[in-house]
Amino acid sequence: MMGRLLAGTAVFAAAAVAFGFLLLPIVAIFSRVSPGRLVAQLSHPVVTDALVLSLKTNAIAQALVLLLGTPAAYLLATRRFPGRSLAVVLIELPLVLPPAVAGIGLIAAFGRFGLLGGTLDALGIRLGLTQAAVVIAVAYVASPLYVRQAIAAFEEVDPDLVAAARTLGAGRTRTFFRVVLPLARRGLAGGEALSFARGLGEFGATIMFAGSLQGVTQTLPLAIYSAFDLNFTTALAMSALLVVVSGALLVALRLTLQWQPSRPTSRFLFAPSR
Amino acid sequence: MRLRTLLAAVAAIVAVSASVLAAVALAGGSSTKAPRLTVFAAASLTNVFPKIDPHGRFSFGGSNMLAAQIQQGLPADVFASANTKLPAQLHRQGLVTTPFVFTANRLVIVVAHGNPLHLTGVRDLERSGLRIVMAAAGVPAGDYTRTVLARLGLSDLVGKAVSQETDVREVLAKVALGEADAGFVYATDAKTVAGKVSVLRLPPGSQPRVLYAAAAVKSSKHLAAAKAWVKRLRGKSAQKMLRAAGFLPIPH
Repeated sequence: MMGRLLAGTAVFAAAAVAFGFLLLPIVAIFSRVSPGRLVAQLSHPVVTDALVLSLKTNAIAQALVLLLGTPAAYLLATRRFPGRSLAVVLIELPLVLPPAVAGIGLIAAFGRFGLLGGTLDALGIRLGLTQAAVVIAVAYVASPLYVRQAIAAFEEVDPDLVAAARTLGAGRTRTFFRVVLPLARRGLAGGEALSFARGLGEFGATIMFAGSLQGVTQTLPLAIYSAFDLNFTTALAMSALLVVVSGALLVALRLTLQWQPSRPTSRFLFAPSR
Repeated sequence: MRLRTLLAAVAAIVAVSASVLAAVALAGGSSTKAPRLTVFAAASLTNVFPKIDPHGRFSFGGSNMLAAQIQQGLPADVFASANTKLPAQLHRQGLVTTPFVFTANRLVIVVAHGNPLHLTGVRDLERSGLRIVMAAAGVPAGDYTRTVLARLGLSDLVGKAVSQETDVREVLAKVALGEADAGFVYATDAKTVAGKVSVLRLPPGSQPRVLYAAAAVKSSKHLAAAKAWVKRLRGKSAQKMLRAAGFLPIPH
């Protein structure tokens, strides 16, 4: 009896510590300076430049992730081939790589003296220290989050429905767009939200491969780092902004995953096209 | 069953971490009676400071970043800056003891090894299409770079830089890796990657006074040791090592 009570208290205490530990830095960001001053800082050109740049580079990176990651995920989800598990592990690897390793890897691959450096140089392309380098860094670290979620989402699509669509005369492409994508869309959206959040926070690989220049390669996390010494309040304001955006993405993610369509869309999936 | 697996995994992680820590502690050796000091030092001192004190714990970075960390209360015993401004500022705020100048340096331009673009000097950096990097304003190396360019009437180069780096070693790395064509660093930085970069000197009259100052952090738990550490920087053996690394004698 006593033992159980103690154990219960210990579990509760551990949970309270964990919760407080995770929450405290967030609370600190918002409590150190008044909200009015935080908002006032957001009109600083360093902040607006970084915000615009972050949104732009992340939008391009996510477009690439969706465009290239979706077919890759579909292939891995639907085909069984030797080395498939290895391919999945390799795709997920950037997820657990330290950002500094990702940065070194990108320089070693796409840098001037990197594996592809000579080829790129011959084409007159230099990626290092450009906005393209930011996009590459973001896409590299963020895409695995989308791809792994997309693989899971595609795997959950009932193969019988796909087969039914095919027997009813829908082509592969049509089946993919009218059956598979709608059924997998929640998983895809969830993966995309996570990937976007990770991309927005990208720091290490970017500062190493793309450098830091206001309005060109200085994303919000880089701007926070460089404002840290000059103006702590501005750094706090940008951090608060990222907390809000990331929090909103997380809420959107939860809502997407919980949301149940009011009617099963699959019923209409096989209707002849208008 | 599940719980047991989880507990086993946690136990394994704890065991591995503990043995790694133990190994590190053994390797580190606790033979020294003097306290291990934490030294926040300018990035340009990265190669030489561990030679001066092999037992020290170092955090190298842009001096401005380190000063901000001390202002925010990060535990440091010694602050060694690539300028005199930051230590003086921390001293005025009551955070550090009176700073000492302990060495000097020169600013140079580094280009790819062998100078494939045949740049002859700072004025050639005006050539279009060149990718120039420099340290950001506020970073000592960045401030010196701006001083030099202003003296030469070349301040427009600041706006043409493709990256404003957070410390001088980042500038060096971008040039050594070939990502940038030219960068402004200290002569001592260039020496550390001599096989990868070539050096262009700045016109004599444009050279800024690059002085390094150090001070003990007043909140240090080992203030006496920290003060002694700073004092030792002006001693013979430290000065010899600084000179060997290419640093200049303390000007009078």
